[in-house]
Amino acid sequence: MEELDVEPAITNIPAASDGKHLGFAWGPGDILAYETLYMAPGMCAKGSGCSFIHEVRKDEDIYSPILRKLFNESHHIFVGLQTIREDLPSKNKKTQFVSISKNYRSVIRACMEELQQVAASVLVLQVSILLAIELIWNLCEVLFIDAAPAGPLLLHLLDWVRLHKGDVDEKAREVLQSESPAEHHDYWDVVVSYVLQGRFEEARQMLVKQATLQPAARNMYKLMDTLLSKMPFYNPGGTQTLTEFDVKWRHWHEEVDRCLQDNSFASNQHLEIICKILVGDEDTLLEHKELLSTWYHFLVTRLLFCHPTVKPTELHYYAQSCMTMFLDLRSVPEPLDSILLAAFEFDIHQVIKDCSIALNNWWFVAHLTDLLDHCKLLQSHNLHFGSNLREFLLLEYASGLFTHHSLWQLAVDYFDNCPEFGHVYLELQIERVPLDTERKALKVLRICEQRQMSEQVRSICKIMAMRALRNNRLGSALSWSIRAKDAAFATLISERFLQDYCARGTFSDLDLIDNLGPAMLLSDRLTFLVKYREFHKLYEENRFSEAAKLLLSLITAKIAPRSFWMTLLTDALPLLEQKEVSHSAHCALHCGFGHDLCFSGRVQLGEAELKDNSGTK
Amino acid sequence: MVHDAQMDYYGTRLATCSSDRTVKIFDVKNGGQILVADLRGHEGPVWQVAWAHPMFGNILASCSYDRKVIIWKEENGAWDKMYEYCGHESSVNSVCWGPYDFGLILACGSSDGAISLLTFTGDQQWDVKKISNAHTIGCNAVSWAPAVVPGSLIDQPSGQKPNYIKRFVSGGCDNLVKLWKEEDGQWKEDQKLEAHSDWVRDVGWAPSIGLPTSTIASCSQDGRVFIWTCDDPAGNTWTAKLLHKFSDVVWHVSWSITGNILAVSGGDNKVAYTL
Repeated sequence: MEELDVEPAITNIPAASDGKHLGFAWGPGDILAYETLYMAPGMCAKGSGCSFIHEVRKDEDIYSPILRKLFNESHHIFVGLQTIREDLPSKNKKTQFVSISKNYRSVIRACMEELQQVAASVLVLQVSILLAIELIWNLCEVLFIDAAPAGPLLLHLLDWVRLHKGDVDEKAREVLQSESPAEHHDYWDVVVSYVLQGRFEEARQMLVKQATLQPAARNMYKLMDTLLSKMPFYNPGGTQTLTEFDVKWRHWHEEVDRCLQDNSFASNQHLEIICKILVGDEDTLLEHKELLSTWYHFLVTRLLFCHPTVKPTELHYYAQSCMTMFLDLRSVPEPLDSILLAAFEFDIHQVIKDCSIALNNWWFVAHLTDLLDHCKLLQSHNLHFGSNLREFLLLEYASGLFTHHSLWQLAVDYFDNCPEFGHVYLELQIERVPLDTERKALKVLRICEQRQMSEQVRSICKIMAMRALRNNRLGSALSWSIRAKDAAFATLISERFLQDYCARGTFSDLDLIDNLGPAMLLSDRLTFLVKYREFHKLYEENRFSEAAKLLLSLITAKIAPRSFWMTLLTDALPLLEQKEVSHSAHCALHCGFGHDLCFSGRVQLGEAELKDNSGTK
Repeated sequence: MVHDAQMDYYGTRLATCSSDRTVKIFDVKNGGQILVADLRGHEGPVWQVAWAHPMFGNILASCSYDRKVIIWKEENGAWDKMYEYCGHESSVNSVCWGPYDFGLILACGSSDGAISLLTFTGDQQWDVKKISNAHTIGCNAVSWAPAVVPGSLIDQPSGQKPNYIKRFVSGGCDNLVKLWKEEDGQWKEDQKLEAHSDWVRDVGWAPSIGLPTSTIASCSQDGRVFIWTCDDPAGNTWTAKLLHKFSDVVWHVSWSITGNILAVSGGDNKVAYTL
């Protein structure tokens, strides 16, 4: 992002002496920092200096075993999302997008639950981060993806608040399981909490218990029960229009107000409070800050009792004022608060930007932005390099995955779905995957081959071939160099094979050499090796005439290395003694030898032998 | 005092060099730190180390105040000197391996003002080309351009060696950043980039992400870091943009693998910029 209006977080390197300059180097996923000789001018060295090297890693999350599941499962959802067809009618698409959003959220929740069970203190922070992420995602789903209009909007917001305020049910359970629930010290807290969340059924059930204890106040309780039961809730699936609902609600609101004015509940402090809440009295609501616990709960409750037909465009005004009213004048809004506020203001880009800064892992913003992009909610936001916001975040996220010894495979799919730079990023990153085993190398290779990354294929094969050669595994080295289509290397290895043969008299890796097929044409030396081995096979099978012909062609084709001529000569001698060798082949061999060896210093020996044999003819 | 530390290609090994004249290699897989080799051969502080591409095996180059460049190779688990180059008349300050597409080729910058290019030609032979007086007073840094084939959009038939243009950038005590290009087997000065007012301490050519632009970072004793960009593929017009002016000398610039973050070292802090 071009603008950097927030100071980036400072990471302190411990144990670095004062005044010394730090040097550093990039690793594939981290940075090394070390103290150097250099100092700022005017400072003198304190202490003997530190000879440590510090490794600074950006993202530890990918090493968490529980979060691993989050990465794996969200990868699955991500890939599925990319395949949603463009040509579906928008209504169907919206349902699918909402469903995908819920999938993501359930993955987050599952991860959270698992973390909570582990109950290590270090994970508490992780759990709270995931809670915040799910809270934000849920709100984005309600406001952006589902894009509920006035009417359903409030209902969704109510669901949202209820989902994220789990302690009410816990408290209620405690109260109900006690001997006399109505006398439990938390009883009224539970009732009020239910009312604040619009859970009137449960509130009424609780109140019944109190009513039975106070027969004298029976009428009051009956009245409250009636009020609670008559509060209208908008029914999106029904035939009632928003305006009709609004009218009904106002009637009810006036009725509640009348009860207040009549002092119907004046003798019962608790019921009076509930009545004030129902009428939407701000002061009363604010007196229950502890039960509300957050400004956004306050916001939704206030809307519930003052303006249930709130429109999406009106949200930001209420959000801002609620936040101001709820938070102390002294307290500073936390990052989460600004993010939620930005969401209520429908400023998607601000939400993404703030989340990117607040979190140290790109997982959340990458997946959410991708989903929002599919919903066509992101305006094209021009970044440096010309790539768009979605792609930028996905690239960052996937690059982070690449440093992990197994998660890197997930990253490939992400790069595949970044049309502009995904391919080149993959090319740069995949070369850095350590090829510890042959199996891993093959895995990496397959990925490269599937994507026509021929440079990387060559490079990987070359690395594996060299490694095999250094470990004297000639057969393996040869197959790798053939796969790399590396003629020079194949020549080198063929030479080694031939040297081995000269030294030991036998070939190694016969299976490989015998079954190369057209691959043998990669290099002259390789072709010679294969044909030479073939010659030996023919000889062993007593097919002398064919062997002789082959040997002759090897000589005349001039693909035999000079160093091998002596060997070929030695091989030819027993053939000349064989009666099966045809007369013409015999002559040809003679001539062949004569022609090719007369310039060789070894002609003496050859001629001597030939003379011998021709004598017996 | 450690002067330089470099991770190998895969981040599994770490090479460090120091004023105690040694080069040390550590195995850092899985967060461990095992000393694998202690290479002695230099007679002065060692300034820089550089890992070659793994396809050539485990090869490390080091350069030192003792005017030597030593190339070390691991054979059968043991490290040994593969080649020693003594062709400079003064401290060698920087070494950088070229892209593997060019084969095994090392650029060395020295305080004698010259830049040498050592190319492995096989069978323990190295070919040496020297650019004398590349920078008056001395050369402090060298960095290779990524291998780019002109017209690389067209597929090269396999088996044929593509026509690469070899280029690298150097920075020196003449306050200049210079670009060098190889033409017909000879190295020529291609561009002279002026912007710094004091010694150029480090240069770095950004990795290519497929765009026709080239980007170079340079940092200097004058506290400035410049980003140089060239939009035309022929590489003729370079524009400088001041990234930042620090209050102190900047020693080192380094690009991340995908070239979207530049790390800058100097002053009191380590700073990373996203571009």
